[in-house]
Amino acid sequence: MTDAAIDTTVAIEAPEQIRFRYRLAGPSLRAVAHLVDLVIIGFILGAAALIGAIFAIPFLLGGTEGADKTMTGVILLVVFTLQWGYFTLFEALRNGQTPGKAMFSLRVVKDGGEPIGLVDATLRNLVRAADLLPVGYLAGVVSMLIDPRFRRLGDLVAGTMVVVEDRLTVATPLYVMPPTPDEARTLPMRVVLDADELRAIEAFLRRAIELGPELSAELAATVAAGLARRHGYWHSDPVRLLALLYLRASEPLRLAGAAARGAIPGLPASAR
Amino acid sequence: MTQDEFIIAHQSEWAELDQLLGESRDRGVKRMSPFAISRLAALYRGLSADVARAEGSRFGDDLLAHLERLASRAHALLYKAPPWRIRVAWNFLSREFPRTLRRRSGYFTAASVLFFVPMILGIVGAIVSPGFAERVVPASALAQAADNFGDRYGGGRGAGEGALMTGFYVYNNVGIAFRCFAMGVFFGLGSVFFLVFNGVMIGVVLGYVVRIGHGDNILSFVASHSPFELTAIVISGAAGLQMGMSLVRTHGETRLGSLRRQGPEILRLVLGAAVMLLIAALIEGNYSGSALPIPIKLASGAALTLAVVAYLAFAGRDDSKSVTPPAGVLEGLGAEDARGSSA
Repeated sequence: MTDAAIDTTVAIEAPEQIRFRYRLAGPSLRAVAHLVDLVIIGFILGAAALIGAIFAIPFLLGGTEGADKTMTGVILLVVFTLQWGYFTLFEALRNGQTPGKAMFSLRVVKDGGEPIGLVDATLRNLVRAADLLPVGYLAGVVSMLIDPRFRRLGDLVAGTMVVVEDRLTVATPLYVMPPTPDEARTLPMRVVLDADELRAIEAFLRRAIELGPELSAELAATVAAGLARRHGYWHSDPVRLLALLYLRASEPLRLAGAAARGAIPGLPASAR
Repeated sequence: MTQDEFIIAHQSEWAELDQLLGESRDRGVKRMSPFAISRLAALYRGLSADVARAEGSRFGDDLLAHLERLASRAHALLYKAPPWRIRVAWNFLSREFPRTLRRRSGYFTAASVLFFVPMILGIVGAIVSPGFAERVVPASALAQAADNFGDRYGGGRGAGEGALMTGFYVYNNVGIAFRCFAMGVFFGLGSVFFLVFNGVMIGVVLGYVVRIGHGDNILSFVASHSPFELTAIVISGAAGLQMGMSLVRTHGETRLGSLRRQGPEILRLVLGAAVMLLIAALIEGNYSGSALPIPIKLASGAALTLAVVAYLAFAGRDDSKSVTPPAGVLEGLGAEDARGSSA
């Protein structure tokens, strides 16, 4: 796991001496979040105009001269504040999240993963004016496509990036149905898979339900034949084959783990 | 320990952390109970160890990803940037902004030349050569200017016009200054363009109105707010130039590293300019267009020019009174950090 990984993640070192990877937010996700923010800005503007109009009505009906002009001036101030302040204030006060970004679990963080402050938020949003050039964020999108961290010009100036904080729900043990007596009869007692193979099969098995039976069978078939030949064990269902091999291969680990804790005196801890 | 045993042993803690993080997001960390906050910190430390363990033991990618997401959310909450204080803002305006400007006077000088030379050329050209203004500035803009400073002008402004114009000037002029700075990201070239462009535009309109015989009107109008407004536009441009130059002359660092190091300084200049533009907009909207006699307006313009010069030249020179708030609170806006001044 290095910074130069060819995917959309970036590794960050935390003060607790651990490294964790952030998933970077690409242009399309950020564009959608931005649209949400624009809609919210539109609503705020509409609400401000409505409130202003309600306040101005008595003056207009009473014939007070210039009430309409005063209101226009106030609206212009609101437009200015929203144009230059909406993103800056939300990102500074809500720890890198505008309402639109929060909706899609996006967050602006410093290049080192630290939370951004007022200075960072102000810089990245002032330079937004340059990102907008010549029209519709063209400069910003070009910058995002060139930069490996999807940073627009404002991000480059402020030293920030936008990450996805998605919540995965996989922190549960992987359940594999134990072999039926029929399967157990031919399943070898000892199956050796290296760590990468175990991880790949595990990742696959966790996704098998989402993938659906046809697609998962097709994917499993690409590796099942090789593994079957290596272990001298065949099964009509390639997905089930991988599951059984995974189950058997991870059993010695369980024994070794137990040995490491002293549960099985006979087995040396180095067996894992 | 196998992955499954590892998960079974720790998943209740992870779930608890996830729930606390959700709570802090809904209610804000300040409104959580002290117990919950310290529990959160403890769970995060435990999770840090779990992440290292999961990585070292080469557990599944999905598990590691899950723990990393959890860790990054907790990290973002616990290491949140410190809050903003009013005293910092005062310290910034009274000391740090003028100091930064003086330290970077080279950029200020360059921006002044880029702005004022085209402006003077524009004034002279529009006064001396008939037809010059019409070729540079759109006819509609000239007609607007002639109308604004023409005969109707003497009676002052109607009711509500002050608020309208203040709003317009904030929206328009502060926006111009911000763009003047932002375009500096293109190696300073955008700022050069904006400075020259706005200099020419302002100069030509000024010269045109003088030539058609309303010179006293326009000069008395601009006298009071232009010390703030023009200076602020030049300062924004100077910040843009500094940003561009930091990308060109990197002093051995990467371009981004060089830019990053000067970022706080550059931002100070822009924010200072923004405050000056707000002042300018208030004057411009409420005072500049009033029906006061021309000599009074010219006198106040001279006084305000002196005030601006004195502020930028002398404010913050007295180091003995300087308040240095604790580091971290300021984040580059406040006290002169070593990183900023060594550049």
